Amino acid sequence: MNAPEPTPPSGKLRWLFLWVSGLLLALLLGSGVLVVRFLAEMRTQELAATRALAERTRALSGLWLSIQSYDQAVQQFVAQTAADLDTEARRRLDRLTLEIDSDFDRYPSVLDSQEAALLNGMRGIFSQQRTLYVTILAARPAERRRQADSLLARHLIPVQKQILDWSGKLQVWNGDRLQHADQGLVIQFANLQANLSRVLAIAFGSGLLLVLGSMAYIVRLDRQTRARYVDLVRSQHALEQLSARLVDAQETERRSISRELHDEVGQSLGALLVDIGRLSTALSGDHPEVKAQLDNLKSVAERTFQAVRNMALLLRPSMLDDLGLAAALEWQGREISRRSEMEVSVESESVPEDLPDEYNISIYRLVQEALNNAVRHSGARNAKVVVESLAKSMVVRVADDGRGFDPVRSRGMGILGMEERVKHLGGTLRVESQPGKGATVTAELPIPARGTV
Amino acid sequence: MNQTRILLADDHTLIRAGLRMVVDAQPDLTVVGEASDGREAVAMAGQLKPGVVVMDIGMPSLNGIEATRQIRAALPDTQVVMLSMHSDEGYVLRALKAGAKAYLLKDSAEADLARAIRAAVAGKSFFSPAVGQVLLQDYMRRLERTGAEDSYELLTPREREILQLVAEGKSSKEIATLLNLSVYTVETHRAKLMQKLNLRSVPEVILYAVRKGIIR
Repeated sequence: MNAPEPTPPSGKLRWLFLWVSGLLLALLLGSGVLVVRFLAEMRTQELAATRALAERTRALSGLWLSIQSYDQAVQQFVAQTAADLDTEARRRLDRLTLEIDSDFDRYPSVLDSQEAALLNGMRGIFSQQRTLYVTILAARPAERRRQADSLLARHLIPVQKQILDWSGKLQVWNGDRLQHADQGLVIQFANLQANLSRVLAIAFGSGLLLVLGSMAYIVRLDRQTRARYVDLVRSQHALEQLSARLVDAQETERRSISRELHDEVGQSLGALLVDIGRLSTALSGDHPEVKAQLDNLKSVAERTFQAVRNMALLLRPSMLDDLGLAAALEWQGREISRRSEMEVSVESESVPEDLPDEYNISIYRLVQEALNNAVRHSGARNAKVVVESLAKSMVVRVADDGRGFDPVRSRGMGILGMEERVKHLGGTLRVESQPGKGATVTAELPIPARGTV
Repeated sequence: MNQTRILLADDHTLIRAGLRMVVDAQPDLTVVGEASDGREAVAMAGQLKPGVVVMDIGMPSLNGIEATRQIRAALPDTQVVMLSMHSDEGYVLRALKAGAKAYLLKDSAEADLARAIRAAVAGKSFFSPAVGQVLLQDYMRRLERTGAEDSYELLTPREREILQLVAEGKSSKEIATLLNLSVYTVETHRAKLMQKLNLRSVPEVILYAVRKGIIR
């Protein structure tokens, strides 16, 4: 009877959101990893560059020292005249030569042609110097002394200077290279920055899209939920009204059937009984067999009369109309006491008079239902119906000493019906029971202001 | 011949016709009017001032109990015989409280109507035998189930005597004359017995007496 099945929010959209969010996360993660790895790389490169520089500088200074020692040794050798020391000096020079060679070899593997040229130049000068020394060394001591000063001034010192120059150049070149490496790093860093900016821009853009999309989606959902809530409340209200109308209709129907039974069938039977009685009196012993038949007829009519009366009462207790709610509740209690094993006591002194009929019938049915439940299910020996009037409300309580039940789990149609009626009158219903401890049904109803309803 | 004048009040023509025939068959009784609802009954009673009104409980516009209350208030000499489908004590007690003297069940009205009317005229109570039975059964069942003791046993013979007389509709003065006691003594007995039986009004005393089968 309501709107068709509500359509669930489209699955496609959900997938899109999932994709975009995934993409965003991947981007962020990817760029993070990229940055970390780049930084590590840069550090390694920087370290390598510095280490290479340090290594070269060390090798260079080692070489430089060796050459210096060599030069010194040559100068000493030239200066001294004792022939017995010659052999040892020569040996020392040879050793230093070997050392210098190994120093050259030890220089870190050459990186590019410029460095190689510089190194080779230096090596060339050294071998040039050595050739010179070899010539000097071949001379006799006396000749050596004579030539020493000119030799030193003409050859050794310029060569030394040249070597110094070359090594200086090499050092400068090394410094340049470090700077070059640094510049490379700077460029790489700038690249990274650019890349990172791009990635972040994309991430921000898609994030923004995602947020806007989600917001739009949420707004739509919210609107739908609101609309649905309003619908729900409305249909719930309609349902309540419908059930109230059903209850009303049922009562009206019952009342009219009851009236019909009582007025038409009941009264005709009553009249019949009166007539049979008069007939029977009129016969007064003249025709015993006719009188017996009349008596039989009378008892049939009486039974039918009783049956009709009970039916009418069940449909609509006429005491409710004739005597009011208090009397009807008392009657109800006595009826159940008569019919069942349960004794019902009713305290109805404080039932407000002139309650609207809607209240009378609802309270009556409520008590009826509660008592019938107690008789049918609880095996109670005693039940008590109490009606209390408070300032602005009235309390109807039906308590029994039966075996009780779990009111949370067993909520039968009876309780639902009672709840429906009570709710319709703006009241509340409470069912308290524990297995083995009887049950109490309590309804609290607002007393309507006079003149309303 | 001094006939008792009777007003019939019932919303059903068939029933009224039947009752009229029953009443008219008695030489000392005569039907002077028929009303079809409570309001009409009150109005006609005011005009006709009948000796007895035979009143149905369930009637439209004004029910028989309310009509009885109004008639009894306006015309203390007019007695009311109540006709009902119900033998329940709620009805009986309320009919008595409204001022009815007799209470008849409709399914046995024909047999007992004349007797009920005559009892009412004499100022005595009358109940259909079935009513007394139902009341007694209810009473006995309650005693049995609740294990309460029958408070009637607590009454002295004198109190029982007075109980019956009160239930029959006698005033304290009449009882005093009858038993050769002072009105004060009768009042004292009366108050005591009502206290013992937890009864609060004369109608309750009558109901109790019917229930116990002391009167019928």
